Amino acid sequence: MGNRVRWVVATLALSACTHHQVGPARTFDDYVRKSRTTAEDALSSVETVRLLATTAADGNAFGPYTNVSISEQEDTLADVVGDFGSIQPPDQHADQLRAQLDALLSSATDHLAAVRIAARRGTLAGLDEVAAPLAADSDALNAFLEGLT
Amino acid sequence: MKKLLGVALGVLTAIGGFVDMGDLVANAATGARFDMNLAWVVIVGVIGIIVYAEMSGRVAALCGRPVFDLVRERLGARFGMANMLASFFINFLTLTAEIAGVALAISLASSVNYFFIIPIVAILVWLVCWRMPFQLMERVFGLLGLCLLVFAVAVWKIGPDWNALFSATTHPHVPGSENIFTYAYFGIALFGAAMTPYEVFFFSSGAVEDGWTEKDLGENKINVLIGFPLGAALSLAIMACAHLVLAPRHIVVEQLSQVALPVASAVGRLGLAIVLIGIFAATFGAALETSLSAGYVVAQYFGWPWGKRGSPREATRFHLVVLMSIAAAALFGLTGVDPVKVTEYSIVLSAAALPLTYFPILVIANDVRYMGPNHTNGRFLNAIASVYLVILVVVAIATIPLMIITKGGS
Repeated sequence: MGNRVRWVVATLALSACTHHQVGPARTFDDYVRKSRTTAEDALSSVETVRLLATTAADGNAFGPYTNVSISEQEDTLADVVGDFGSIQPPDQHADQLRAQLDALLSSATDHLAAVRIAARRGTLAGLDEVAAPLAADSDALNAFLEGLT
Repeated sequence: MKKLLGVALGVLTAIGGFVDMGDLVANAATGARFDMNLAWVVIVGVIGIIVYAEMSGRVAALCGRPVFDLVRERLGARFGMANMLASFFINFLTLTAEIAGVALAISLASSVNYFFIIPIVAILVWLVCWRMPFQLMERVFGLLGLCLLVFAVAVWKIGPDWNALFSATTHPHVPGSENIFTYAYFGIALFGAAMTPYEVFFFSSGAVEDGWTEKDLGENKINVLIGFPLGAALSLAIMACAHLVLAPRHIVVEQLSQVALPVASAVGRLGLAIVLIGIFAATFGAALETSLSAGYVVAQYFGWPWGKRGSPREATRFHLVVLMSIAAAALFGLTGVDPVKVTEYSIVLSAAALPLTYFPILVIANDVRYMGPNHTNGRFLNAIASVYLVILVVVAIATIPLMIITKGGS
């Protein structure tokens, strides 16, 4: 029995290290909580890329670091969007919330991709200008989060 | 003069070698999410590792045998086996995280996908374990790890309000956006990162590899009493960078690249290059230590010849365990597991197994048969070590429930 428990704990711990789809939201409150987590994660990616773009434009970061870091954030945001998309909204209120956040995520995804493309083309000096639309995404995500509280 | 140089090098190595992938991720993640409200845990953790690392170094120097070698003899085969299995499993997770960390650091400097780099890193780690003399290996990567001092330079360049920073560090509280459970969970992660078990296996086995005797007890004390606190100061600098640069922007640390971002932002390209070298050295050094620790733990339990002192032919099974552990960790890393998540879970699970590592050290350091009449623990040391043992047990009991309640700190 002891061995079995140890194996279960080990398996849970190891499986936790892999990427998972999020579970269903059974109530509106649960859906709000998951929407908040999604918006926070998206905001983190957006702000990371904004800081990366400013840093690179100021000549403080070299190309490979900037490229890899932006690609990582793009992948993270894609995972966040994918996870959120897989959550079943429980009611019509949740449908509205979903539509609102979907629009924000979609805008952030597009703008982040534009920064990644520019960075890979080696235009680091003007990267802050390419990343400028992310400021509006950041504001919108912050406003969304405030609206949830 | 030569002796002084040796001591200075030992201290510098201890500072540079203090930080590994777990410390990098845990300190940056907590700084970004909890500001400096968990800095006190780093202090508590470093006092704990000082107390127990000094003890394990003393045991190794006086007995000529590392602590793990004595566990089975002193506490029996069953306890020894449980200890060995838990330690090996956690060490394996840590090794995976360190190899991934090296690959990520190279990837950030080269743009090459880190999956392609993992096998090369694994081969390099094995080659260094196989060929490089022990002390040279320890010193090269420990000294290169000093590049991480650039985090302290970054804090200075950011130019924070020092009074506010000191106040934030000395007046901890649970931030309004968090709850007591996530606060405790991240506290445990930091504690586990500071007191990672492999550090003790490596420290005590390394003392035997270096041929320490009673004459080296003074150097042992200097290394841990000066080197470890300065290493902890480095950990706090990483936390402060994240607190000052990432937290105001609501950035959550989920990638190793984000750990280096405050340095790039504050110090520039040179700072970024230095921090990437530092991350490479810290994670490569820790990958070597965890690879060897895997061999130490298993070989010492079964009583096989072990170590790098002799030729690999003399310690075949030890080197085979090292090789297999590196290969398995690299394969696990290649499955697509998130290296930062592996790091987080390795340090949290380390916390759950801490009593298994530290309890035997306390028992043996008090046993006159091993230590002789003049070198067992004094009352004061035993009092501190006992308090820490209680903390370790509480942490171990709380870890898994907190992991479940907070869904891994999310």
